[in-house]
Amino acid sequence: MATPVPVLRLPKGPDPNSRGFDPNSPRFIALCRTSISSSAASDTDSEQLQKEQDARSVLREGFLRCLLSMTNKKVQFQMYENVKVEATFGASDIDVLNFQVSDLHTPIGVQKEALIRCQDVISFTFEV
Amino acid sequence: MAMRQTPLTCSGHTRPVVDLAFSGITPYGYFLISACKDGKPMLRQGDTGDWIGTFLGHKGAVWGATLNTDATKAATAAADFTAKVWDAVSGDEVLSLAHKHIVKTVSFTQDSNCLLTGGNDKLLRIYDLSSPEAAPQEISGHTSAIKKALWCNNDQQILSAADDKTIRLWDRSSMEEVKTLTFDTSVSSMEYVADGQILVITYGKTIAFYNALSLELIKTVEAPAPINSASLHPEKDFFVAGGDDFKLYKFDYSTKEELDQSETDGAAAHVSAESYKGHFGPVHCVRFSPDGELYASGSEDGTLRLWQTAVGKTYGLWKCVLPEDLGSENPEQLYTSTPEIKA
Repeated sequence: MATPVPVLRLPKGPDPNSRGFDPNSPRFIALCRTSISSSAASDTDSEQLQKEQDARSVLREGFLRCLLSMTNKKVQFQMYENVKVEATFGASDIDVLNFQVSDLHTPIGVQKEALIRCQDVISFTFEV
Repeated sequence: MAMRQTPLTCSGHTRPVVDLAFSGITPYGYFLISACKDGKPMLRQGDTGDWIGTFLGHKGAVWGATLNTDATKAATAAADFTAKVWDAVSGDEVLSLAHKHIVKTVSFTQDSNCLLTGGNDKLLRIYDLSSPEAAPQEISGHTSAIKKALWCNNDQQILSAADDKTIRLWDRSSMEEVKTLTFDTSVSSMEYVADGQILVITYGKTIAFYNALSLELIKTVEAPAPINSASLHPEKDFFVAGGDDFKLYKFDYSTKEELDQSETDGAAAHVSAESYKGHFGPVHCVRFSPDGELYASGSEDGTLRLWQTAVGKTYGLWKCVLPEDLGSENPEQLYTSTPEIKA
Protein backbone atom coordinates (compact mmCIF):
# COMPACT_ATOMS: atom_id res chain seq x y z
CA MET A 1 0.00 0.00 0.00
CA ALA A 2 1.73 3.13 -1.19
CA THR A 3 1.59 6.36 0.82
CA PRO A 4 1.29 9.55 -1.18
CA VAL A 5 4.32 11.85 -0.98
CA PRO A 6 3.61 14.60 1.55
CA VAL A 7 3.56 18.20 0.37
CA LEU A 8 4.36 21.35 2.35
CA ARG A 9 1.56 23.32 0.69
CA LEU A 10 -0.10 23.76 -2.68
CA PRO A 11 1.38 26.06 -5.35
CA LYS A 12 0.19 29.64 -4.92
CA GLY A 13 -2.45 30.66 -7.39
CA PRO A 14 -2.93 33.99 -9.18
CA ASP A 15 -3.91 37.11 -7.25
CA PRO A 16 -7.39 38.08 -8.48
CA ASN A 17 -6.61 41.78 -8.02
CA SER A 18 -3.37 42.20 -9.86
CA ARG A 19 -1.38 40.85 -12.77
CA GLY A 20 1.50 39.99 -10.45
CA PHE A 21 5.22 40.63 -11.06
CA ASP A 22 5.71 41.83 -7.51
CA PRO A 23 7.94 44.94 -7.58
CA ASN A 24 9.22 44.02 -4.12
CA SER A 25 10.55 40.65 -5.15
CA PRO A 26 14.36 40.34 -5.08
CA ARG A 27 14.44 39.55 -8.79
CA PHE A 28 12.44 42.63 -9.74
CA ILE A 29 14.54 44.93 -7.58
CA ALA A 30 17.77 43.51 -8.97
CA LEU A 31 16.78 43.42 -12.65
CA CYS A 32 14.25 46.21 -13.14
CA ARG A 33 16.34 49.33 -12.79
CA THR A 34 14.46 51.20 -15.51
CA SER A 35 13.05 53.78 -13.14
CA ILE A 36 15.43 54.64 -10.38
CA SER A 37 13.53 54.12 -7.16
CA SER A 38 14.16 56.58 -4.41
CA SER A 39 13.75 53.99 -1.69
CA ALA A 40 16.76 52.85 0.29
CA ALA A 41 16.88 49.64 -1.68
CA SER A 42 20.63 49.69 -2.02
CA ASP A 43 22.69 51.17 0.78
CA THR A 44 25.90 50.86 -1.16
CA ASP A 45 24.67 53.70 -3.41
CA SER A 46 24.02 56.28 -0.68
CA GLU A 47 26.16 58.91 -2.39
CA GLN A 48 24.46 58.22 -5.69
CA LEU A 49 21.13 58.37 -3.89
CA GLN A 50 21.99 61.85 -2.61
CA LYS A 51 22.91 63.01 -6.11
CA GLU A 52 19.65 61.60 -7.44
CA GLN A 53 17.69 63.36 -4.73
CA ASP A 54 19.41 66.67 -5.51
CA ALA A 55 18.59 66.27 -9.18
CA ARG A 56 14.98 65.47 -8.37
CA SER A 57 14.67 68.58 -6.22
CA VAL A 58 16.08 70.82 -8.93
CA LEU A 59 13.77 69.38 -11.58
CA ARG A 60 10.73 69.61 -9.34
CA GLU A 61 11.41 73.20 -8.38
CA GLY A 62 11.90 74.14 -12.01
CA PHE A 63 8.61 72.51 -12.96
CA LEU A 64 6.67 74.27 -10.21
CA ARG A 65 8.13 77.66 -11.14
CA CYS A 66 7.19 76.96 -14.73
CA LEU A 67 3.57 76.35 -13.73
CA LEU A 68 3.57 79.58 -11.73
CA SER A 69 4.90 81.68 -14.56
CA MET A 70 2.34 80.19 -16.98
CA THR A 71 -0.61 81.64 -15.07
CA ASN A 72 -2.88 83.77 -17.29
CA LYS A 73 -0.61 83.28 -20.29
CA LYS A 74 -1.53 81.76 -23.63
CA VAL A 75 -0.20 78.20 -23.79
CA GLN A 76 -0.11 75.80 -26.76
CA PHE A 77 -0.60 72.14 -25.79
CA GLN A 78 0.67 69.32 -27.98
CA MET A 79 -1.43 66.25 -27.23
CA TYR A 80 -1.86 62.67 -28.45
CA GLU A 81 -3.75 61.87 -31.64
CA ASN A 82 -2.02 64.84 -33.26
CA VAL A 83 -4.10 67.33 -31.29
CA LYS A 84 -2.78 70.90 -30.87
CA VAL A 85 -4.83 73.33 -28.82
CA GLU A 86 -4.28 76.74 -27.36
CA ALA A 87 -5.71 78.11 -24.12
CA THR A 88 -5.10 80.55 -21.32
CA PHE A 89 -3.58 78.66 -18.44
CA GLY A 90 -5.26 78.94 -15.07
CA ALA A 91 -3.89 76.43 -12.60
CA SER A 92 -2.89 72.84 -12.05
CA ASP A 93 -4.34 70.52 -9.43
CA ILE A 94 -2.02 69.24 -6.67
CA ASP A 95 -1.22 65.93 -8.34
CA VAL A 96 -0.80 67.46 -11.81
CA LEU A 97 -3.66 65.36 -13.14
CA ASN A 98 -5.65 68.23 -14.65
CA PHE A 99 -4.95 71.74 -15.87
CA GLN A 100 -7.66 74.33 -15.48
CA VAL A 101 -7.73 76.53 -18.60
CA SER A 102 -9.91 79.29 -20.10
CA ASP A 103 -10.71 80.07 -23.75
CA LEU A 104 -9.66 76.68 -25.02
CA HIS A 105 -9.49 76.87 -28.83
CA THR A 106 -10.58 73.54 -30.27
CA PRO A 107 -11.39 72.50 -33.87
CA ILE A 108 -15.07 72.60 -32.94
CA GLY A 109 -15.08 75.94 -31.20
CA VAL A 110 -13.85 77.88 -28.20
CA GLN A 111 -14.54 76.44 -24.76
CA LYS A 112 -14.81 79.19 -22.15
CA GLU A 113 -13.67 77.03 -19.27
CA ALA A 114 -12.16 73.58 -19.49
CA LEU A 115 -10.05 70.97 -17.78
CA ILE A 116 -7.24 69.40 -19.73
CA ARG A 117 -6.24 65.88 -18.65
CA CYS A 118 -2.50 65.98 -18.09
CA GLN A 119 -1.81 62.40 -19.16
CA ASP A 120 -3.08 63.36 -22.63
CA VAL A 121 -0.50 66.14 -22.93
CA ILE A 122 2.81 65.40 -24.58
CA SER A 123 4.28 68.91 -24.27
CA PHE A 124 3.28 72.54 -23.89
CA THR A 125 4.83 75.83 -25.04
CA PHE A 126 4.38 79.43 -23.93
CA GLU A 127 6.11 82.79 -24.15
CA VAL A 128 7.86 83.73 -20.94
CA MET B 1 8.21 1.54 1.60
CA ALA B 2 6.79 2.62 -1.73
CA MET B 3 5.58 6.17 -2.11
CA ARG B 4 2.87 7.30 -4.48
CA GLN B 5 3.43 10.35 -6.69
CA THR B 6 1.67 13.51 -5.49
CA PRO B 7 1.30 15.86 -8.46
CA LEU B 8 1.14 19.56 -7.63
CA THR B 9 -1.74 21.26 -9.39
CA CYS B 10 -1.26 24.82 -10.61
CA SER B 11 -4.63 26.37 -11.28
CA GLY B 12 -5.48 29.84 -12.56
CA HIS B 13 -6.05 29.24 -16.22
CA THR B 14 -9.66 29.03 -17.30
CA ARG B 15 -9.19 27.17 -20.61
CA PRO B 16 -6.94 24.40 -21.93
CA VAL B 17 -3.19 24.79 -21.45
CA VAL B 18 -1.64 24.09 -24.84
CA ASP B 19 2.05 24.85 -24.43
CA LEU B 20 4.60 25.34 -21.71
CA ALA B 21 8.29 26.08 -21.49
CA PHE B 22 10.95 26.29 -18.80
CA SER B 23 13.73 28.85 -18.67
CA GLY B 24 17.31 27.92 -17.89
CA ILE B 25 18.58 27.99 -14.32
CA THR B 26 19.00 31.61 -13.16
CA PRO B 27 20.30 33.06 -9.88
CA TYR B 28 16.62 33.28 -8.86
CA GLY B 29 15.82 29.68 -9.68
CA TYR B 30 14.10 28.61 -12.89
CA PHE B 31 10.78 29.64 -14.33
CA LEU B 32 7.89 28.21 -16.24
CA ILE B 33 5.58 29.90 -18.75
CA SER B 34 2.25 28.43 -19.81
CA ALA B 35 0.28 29.22 -22.97
CA CYS B 36 -3.46 28.99 -22.63
CA LYS B 37 -6.51 29.33 -24.81
CA ASP B 38 -7.81 31.94 -22.36
CA GLY B 39 -5.29 34.37 -23.90
CA LYS B 40 -3.47 35.00 -20.62
CA PRO B 41 -0.08 33.30 -20.46
CA MET B 42 1.29 32.96 -16.95
CA LEU B 43 4.75 32.95 -15.44
CA ARG B 44 5.42 30.65 -12.50
CA GLN B 45 8.33 29.77 -10.28
CA GLY B 46 9.58 26.54 -11.82
CA ASP B 47 10.30 24.43 -8.75
CA THR B 48 7.15 25.24 -6.78
CA GLY B 49 4.58 26.21 -9.40
CA ASP B 50 3.87 29.45 -7.51
CA TRP B 51 2.26 32.04 -9.76
CA ILE B 52 4.44 35.09 -10.40
CA GLY B 53 2.42 37.04 -12.94
CA THR B 54 0.13 37.04 -15.95
CA PHE B 55 1.09 38.61 -19.28
CA LEU B 56 -1.92 40.69 -20.27
CA GLY B 57 -2.40 41.97 -23.80
CA HIS B 58 -3.29 39.20 -26.21
CA LYS B 59 -6.78 39.28 -27.64
CA GLY B 60 -7.01 35.62 -28.56
CA ALA B 61 -5.94 32.13 -27.56
CA VAL B 62 -2.21 31.86 -26.91
CA TRP B 63 -0.85 28.84 -28.75
CA GLY B 64 2.84 29.04 -27.96
CA ALA B 65 5.00 30.50 -25.21
CA THR B 66 8.67 30.52 -24.45
CA LEU B 67 11.23 32.11 -22.13
CA ASN B 68 14.79 33.06 -22.87
CA THR B 69 17.53 31.28 -20.94
CA ASP B 70 17.82 33.78 -18.09
CA ALA B 71 14.03 34.32 -17.91
CA THR B 72 14.29 38.05 -18.54
CA LYS B 73 12.23 37.88 -21.72
CA ALA B 74 9.16 35.95 -22.71
CA ALA B 75 7.58 35.49 -26.12
CA THR B 76 4.09 34.33 -26.96
CA ALA B 77 2.26 33.32 -30.15
CA ALA B 78 -1.47 33.89 -30.40
CA ALA B 79 -4.62 33.56 -32.43
CA ASP B 80 -4.89 37.36 -32.59
CA PHE B 81 -2.32 37.20 -35.42
CA THR B 82 0.48 38.57 -33.23
CA ALA B 83 3.56 37.30 -31.53
CA LYS B 84 4.49 39.39 -28.51
CA VAL B 85 7.74 39.84 -26.64
CA TRP B 86 7.47 40.63 -22.94
CA ASP B 87 9.75 41.77 -20.15
CA ALA B 88 9.50 38.69 -17.93
CA VAL B 89 10.57 40.60 -14.81
CA SER B 90 8.02 43.43 -14.95
CA GLY B 91 5.37 41.67 -17.06
CA ASP B 92 5.26 44.56 -19.53
CA GLU B 93 4.67 44.02 -23.21
CA VAL B 94 7.80 45.08 -25.07
CA LEU B 95 6.95 44.29 -28.69
CA SER B 96 3.96 43.23 -30.73
CA LEU B 97 4.84 41.61 -34.05
CA ALA B 98 1.94 41.57 -36.49
CA HIS B 99 1.44 38.49 -38.65
CA LYS B 100 -1.01 37.63 -41.38
CA HIS B 101 -2.57 34.66 -39.60
CA ILE B 102 -2.65 32.76 -36.30
CA VAL B 103 0.82 32.46 -34.83
CA LYS B 104 1.52 29.07 -33.28
CA THR B 105 5.14 28.95 -32.19
CA VAL B 106 7.92 31.24 -30.95
CA SER B 107 11.54 30.56 -30.12
CA PHE B 108 14.46 32.77 -28.95
CA THR B 109 18.06 32.29 -30.04
CA GLN B 110 20.46 31.60 -27.17
CA ASP B 111 21.55 35.25 -27.05
CA SER B 112 17.87 36.36 -27.06
CA ASN B 113 18.57 38.68 -30.00
CA CYS B 114 16.40 36.93 -32.55
CA LEU B 115 12.90 35.52 -32.40
CA LEU B 116 11.67 32.76 -34.69
CA THR B 117 7.93 32.58 -35.33
CA GLY B 118 5.70 30.23 -37.28
CA GLY B 119 2.00 29.74 -37.74
CA ASN B 120 -0.94 29.25 -40.01
CA ASP B 121 0.43 31.43 -42.80
CA LYS B 122 2.96 28.63 -43.44
CA LEU B 123 5.96 30.97 -43.17
CA LEU B 124 8.85 30.95 -40.75
CA ARG B 125 9.91 34.44 -39.74
CA ILE B 126 13.08 35.61 -38.06
CA TYR B 127 12.87 38.94 -36.22
CA ASP B 128 15.91 40.89 -35.13
CA LEU B 129 14.85 42.12 -31.72
CA SER B 130 17.41 44.91 -31.73
CA SER B 131 15.73 46.43 -34.79
CA PRO B 132 12.13 45.27 -34.55
CA GLU B 133 10.77 47.77 -37.10
CA ALA B 134 12.88 46.07 -39.76
CA ALA B 135 11.00 43.50 -41.80
CA PRO B 136 11.64 39.93 -40.65
CA GLN B 137 13.43 37.41 -42.81
CA GLU B 138 10.92 34.93 -44.18
CA ILE B 139 11.39 31.27 -45.00
CA SER B 140 8.74 29.55 -47.07
CA GLY B 141 8.39 25.92 -48.05
CA HIS B 142 5.85 24.31 -45.79
CA THR B 143 2.56 23.61 -47.52
CA SER B 144 0.37 23.88 -44.46
CA ALA B 145 0.25 25.47 -41.03
CA ILE B 146 3.43 25.38 -38.97
CA LYS B 147 2.96 23.94 -35.48
CA LYS B 148 6.41 24.22 -34.00
CA ALA B 149 9.68 25.90 -34.94
CA LEU B 150 12.94 25.73 -33.03
CA TRP B 151 16.52 26.95 -33.34
CA CYS B 152 19.06 24.16 -33.31
CA ASN B 153 22.74 23.46 -33.83
CA ASN B 154 23.89 26.55 -31.99
CA ASP B 155 21.21 28.70 -33.69
CA GLN B 156 22.74 28.00 -37.10
CA GLN B 157 19.79 25.90 -38.18
CA ILE B 158 16.04 25.85 -37.77
CA LEU B 159 13.72 22.87 -37.32
CA SER B 160 10.06 23.23 -38.16
CA ALA B 161 7.11 20.84 -37.92
CA ALA B 162 3.90 21.47 -39.84
CA ASP B 163 0.50 19.99 -40.60
CA ASP B 164 1.86 18.97 -44.01
CA LYS B 165 3.28 15.94 -42.10
CA THR B 166 6.87 17.06 -42.57
CA ILE B 167 9.65 18.20 -40.33
CA ARG B 168 12.17 20.35 -42.15
CA LEU B 169 15.67 21.40 -41.27
CA TRP B 170 16.73 24.81 -42.63
CA ASP B 171 20.05 26.57 -42.74
CA ARG B 172 19.76 29.97 -41.14
CA SER B 173 22.23 31.87 -43.31
CA SER B 174 21.18 30.49 -46.68
CA MET B 175 17.51 30.19 -45.59
CA GLU B 176 17.42 26.98 -47.63
CA GLU B 177 15.93 23.63 -46.78
CA VAL B 178 18.66 21.17 -45.83
CA LYS B 179 16.66 18.05 -45.06
CA THR B 180 13.06 16.88 -44.75
CA LEU B 181 11.43 14.11 -42.77
CA THR B 182 8.04 12.95 -44.00
CA PHE B 183 5.53 11.09 -41.87
CA ASP B 184 2.26 9.29 -42.55
CA THR B 185 0.50 11.31 -39.95
CA SER B 186 0.73 14.78 -38.49
CA VAL B 187 3.51 15.31 -35.95
CA SER B 188 2.00 16.33 -32.61
CA SER B 189 5.10 17.75 -30.96
CA MET B 190 8.81 18.35 -31.29
CA GLU B 191 11.48 19.02 -28.66
CA TYR B 192 15.15 19.71 -29.25
CA VAL B 193 17.78 18.71 -26.70
CA ALA B 194 20.89 20.76 -27.46
CA ASP B 195 23.22 18.69 -25.34
CA GLY B 196 23.56 15.58 -27.44
CA GLN B 197 21.69 17.02 -30.43
CA ILE B 198 18.60 14.89 -29.97
CA LEU B 199 15.22 15.64 -31.48
CA VAL B 200 12.15 14.19 -29.72
CA ILE B 201 9.11 13.85 -31.99
CA THR B 202 5.66 12.48 -31.27
CA TYR B 203 3.04 11.25 -33.74
CA GLY B 204 0.18 8.85 -33.21
CA LYS B 205 1.20 6.61 -30.31
CA THR B 206 4.88 6.90 -31.18
CA ILE B 207 7.65 8.80 -29.50
CA ALA B 208 10.63 8.98 -31.84
CA PHE B 209 14.20 10.11 -31.22
CA TYR B 210 16.29 11.51 -34.04
CA ASN B 211 19.76 12.91 -34.41
CA ALA B 212 19.06 16.63 -34.79
CA LEU B 213 21.94 17.25 -37.20
CA SER B 214 21.52 14.36 -39.61
CA LEU B 215 17.81 13.71 -38.95
CA GLU B 216 18.65 10.02 -38.68
CA LEU B 217 16.35 7.93 -36.55
CA ILE B 218 17.82 6.77 -33.24
CA LYS B 219 14.84 4.79 -31.95
CA THR B 220 11.07 4.78 -31.52
CA VAL B 221 8.91 3.81 -28.58
CA GLU B 222 5.21 2.97 -28.67
CA ALA B 223 2.91 4.27 -25.96
CA PRO B 224 -0.45 2.78 -24.97
CA ALA B 225 -2.36 5.82 -26.19
CA PRO B 226 -2.01 8.65 -28.74
CA ILE B 227 0.68 10.99 -27.49
CA ASN B 228 0.57 14.79 -27.79
CA SER B 229 3.91 15.68 -26.26
CA ALA B 230 7.08 14.12 -24.90
CA SER B 231 10.21 15.36 -23.17
CA LEU B 232 13.62 13.85 -22.60
CA HIS B 233 15.33 14.15 -19.21
CA PRO B 234 18.44 16.42 -19.29
CA GLU B 235 20.61 13.45 -18.35
CA LYS B 236 18.87 11.36 -20.98
CA ASP B 237 17.96 8.52 -18.66
CA PHE B 238 14.19 8.98 -18.86
CA PHE B 239 11.58 10.54 -21.02
CA VAL B 240 7.99 11.42 -20.22
CA ALA B 241 4.99 11.56 -22.50
CA GLY B 242 1.36 12.52 -22.22
CA GLY B 243 -1.63 12.36 -24.53
CA ASP B 244 -5.25 11.59 -25.08
CA ASP B 245 -5.80 9.12 -22.23
CA PHE B 246 -5.07 11.89 -19.67
CA LYS B 247 -2.09 10.00 -18.19
CA LEU B 248 1.58 10.82 -17.92
CA TYR B 249 3.96 8.04 -18.90
CA LYS B 250 7.56 7.74 -17.82
CA PHE B 251 9.86 5.52 -19.83
CA ASP B 252 13.43 4.55 -19.36
CA TYR B 253 15.39 5.99 -22.29
CA SER B 254 18.43 3.79 -22.47
CA THR B 255 16.90 0.35 -22.43
CA LYS B 256 13.11 0.76 -22.75
CA GLU B 257 12.86 -1.59 -19.76
CA GLU B 258 9.87 -1.74 -17.51
CA LEU B 259 10.36 0.50 -14.51
CA ASP B 260 9.57 -0.21 -10.87
CA GLN B 261 6.27 -2.14 -11.01
CA SER B 262 5.16 -1.05 -7.53
CA GLU B 263 4.73 2.48 -8.84
CA THR B 264 2.14 1.64 -11.48
CA ASP B 265 -1.40 2.29 -10.48
CA GLY B 266 -3.12 -0.57 -12.15
CA ALA B 267 -2.20 0.34 -15.71
CA ALA B 268 -2.57 -2.41 -18.30
CA ALA B 269 0.06 -5.15 -18.22
CA HIS B 270 1.40 -4.50 -21.71
CA VAL B 271 2.59 -1.00 -20.76
CA SER B 272 6.32 -0.95 -20.19
CA ALA B 273 6.34 2.35 -18.39
CA GLU B 274 5.23 4.01 -15.20
CA SER B 275 2.00 5.85 -15.65
CA TYR B 276 0.47 8.56 -13.54
CA LYS B 277 -3.08 9.70 -13.38
CA GLY B 278 -4.10 13.16 -12.32
CA HIS B 279 -5.32 15.24 -15.21
CA PHE B 280 -9.01 15.39 -16.12
CA GLY B 281 -8.43 15.92 -19.78
CA PRO B 282 -5.95 15.14 -22.56
CA VAL B 283 -2.38 16.20 -21.87
CA HIS B 284 -1.22 18.73 -24.47
CA CYS B 285 2.33 19.42 -23.39
CA VAL B 286 4.95 18.02 -21.07
CA ARG B 287 8.44 19.31 -20.31
CA PHE B 288 11.26 18.40 -17.96
CA SER B 289 12.66 21.16 -15.77
CA PRO B 290 16.23 22.23 -16.56
CA ASP B 291 17.57 20.35 -13.51
CA GLY B 292 15.53 17.25 -14.35
CA GLU B 293 14.04 17.05 -10.86
CA LEU B 294 10.47 17.52 -12.02
CA TYR B 295 8.37 17.65 -15.16
CA ALA B 296 5.36 19.83 -15.86
CA SER B 297 2.29 18.91 -17.89
CA GLY B 298 -0.43 21.13 -19.34
CA SER B 299 -3.87 19.78 -20.08
CA GLU B 300 -7.25 20.36 -21.69
CA ASP B 301 -8.55 20.52 -18.08
CA GLY B 302 -6.98 24.00 -17.72
CA THR B 303 -4.35 23.01 -15.18
CA LEU B 304 -0.63 22.52 -15.09
CA ARG B 305 0.68 19.75 -12.91
CA LEU B 306 4.19 19.27 -11.57
CA TRP B 307 5.45 15.73 -11.14
CA GLN B 308 8.54 14.48 -9.34
CA THR B 309 11.16 12.58 -11.29
CA ALA B 310 12.33 10.79 -8.15
CA VAL B 311 9.12 10.16 -6.24
CA GLY B 312 9.51 10.75 -2.53
CA LYS B 313 12.56 12.99 -2.73
CA THR B 314 12.55 16.31 -0.89
CA TYR B 315 12.41 19.01 -3.56
CA GLY B 316 10.36 22.17 -4.02
CA LEU B 317 7.11 21.63 -2.20
CA TRP B 318 7.53 17.87 -1.87
CA LYS B 319 8.80 16.68 1.48
CA CYS B 320 10.52 13.39 2.05
CA VAL B 321 9.20 11.88 5.22
CA LEU B 322 11.03 9.05 6.95
CA PRO B 323 8.86 6.17 8.26
CA GLU B 324 9.33 7.18 11.91
CA ASP B 325 8.10 10.73 11.17
CA LEU B 326 4.73 9.65 9.83
CA GLY B 327 2.11 9.89 12.54
CA SER B 328 3.94 12.78 14.26
CA GLU B 329 1.92 15.64 15.76
CA ASN B 330 2.32 18.07 12.86
CA PRO B 331 -0.73 17.25 10.77
CA GLU B 332 -1.25 20.86 9.73
CA GLN B 333 2.23 21.12 8.30
CA LEU B 334 2.12 18.28 5.88
CA TYR B 335 -0.63 17.17 3.59
CA THR B 336 -0.56 13.40 3.50
CA SER B 337 -3.51 13.01 1.18
CA THR B 338 -3.80 14.48 -2.25
CA PRO B 339 -6.06 17.50 -1.78
CA GLU B 340 -8.05 18.59 -4.82
CA ILE B 341 -8.39 22.17 -3.69
CA LYS B 342 -8.44 24.87 -6.34
CA ALA B 343 -5.81 27.44 -5.46
